[in-house]
Amino acid sequence: MRKLIFVLLAVFLIVGVSLAEGKKYGKGVTLKEKTKISDIFANPEEFTGKKVLVEGMIVDVCSKRGCWMEIASDKEFEKIKIKVEDGEIVFPLEEKGKTALVEGTIEKIEMTKEQAIERAKHHAEEVGQKFDPASVTGPEVFYQIRGLGAVIK
Amino acid sequence: MKWRKWIRILHRDIGYLATGLTVIYAISGVAVNHVDEWNPNYSIERSTIKLDSIPSLEKEAMIKYILNEIGETGKIKNSFRPAPDKLDIFVEGNTISVNYTTKEVSQEKMASRTVIRESNFLHLNAPKKVWTYVADVFAVALAFLAISGLFMIKGKNGITGRGAWMTALGILLPIIFLIIYYY
Repeated sequence: MRKLIFVLLAVFLIVGVSLAEGKKYGKGVTLKEKTKISDIFANPEEFTGKKVLVEGMIVDVCSKRGCWMEIASDKEFEKIKIKVEDGEIVFPLEEKGKTALVEGTIEKIEMTKEQAIERAKHHAEEVGQKFDPASVTGPEVFYQIRGLGAVIK
Repeated sequence: MKWRKWIRILHRDIGYLATGLTVIYAISGVAVNHVDEWNPNYSIERSTIKLDSIPSLEKEAMIKYILNEIGETGKIKNSFRPAPDKLDIFVEGNTISVNYTTKEVSQEKMASRTVIRESNFLHLNAPKKVWTYVADVFAVALAFLAISGLFMIKGKNGITGRGAWMTALGILLPIIFLIIYYY
């Protein structure tokens, strides 16, 4: 009986510790040093192609497939998109508002005006908003993180 | 014949074992098949109201004011300002977006689709790890059930009679769609 209680306590302790550390997605995180999202936006070319570890509040999640999420920067009014391969990692919608540690590679995405319109239209459909093609004024360049793993706390 | 008896026994018992997963995969199959028309994991209800006015308040006071205006009593998780005139409030099961300029308050209430979401989780192999191998074994079991089913009975309704035509029809169906849509 004592052994059983000991085993159960050990299991609860392990589960408790792992939950306190957060829920792991994909490959989790391996880097130790965090990069500020504001630093990435301040000098994106320097970070393009590099693997980074960022931390921030989850402010949006792909509601259909969980294939992307956006996390807030350390700087006000700024956020970065984390895109993952469909099905490889699925971010749950309930995680909005929680803090995520994300590891991935900075990508530079260049789009023609037509591509940018299509992307904005698709995004508007996903989040159930009205779309005005006039809101896209020309070709777009933006930076995102190709997510490899994450821990959500 | 003895081999046919064994095929029937194996088909029966593997069939019993595969029932649970087959139902799960069938539910999820239909759910994710229509991903362009509905959300297979969540039920999402979106609404927007326009307030007569929005007072100038500090962030915390503003959150309380907005939640009071829309009658939201859920637990506040966090908040974010995506732009100087916008505020997002994250409440359990609800995301509230406030636009100070248009005075619009949008809500995105979300609830998990019980059973379907769990089925999708397994069907799309979200757990990975050991589940990958369980799903592989299930796939092999399904292949065995399909092939063993062909030889379970003999005679005019077996694979040498009616069964041959029915099987050919079943194989022809995906081929027709491949010719139409793929090639």
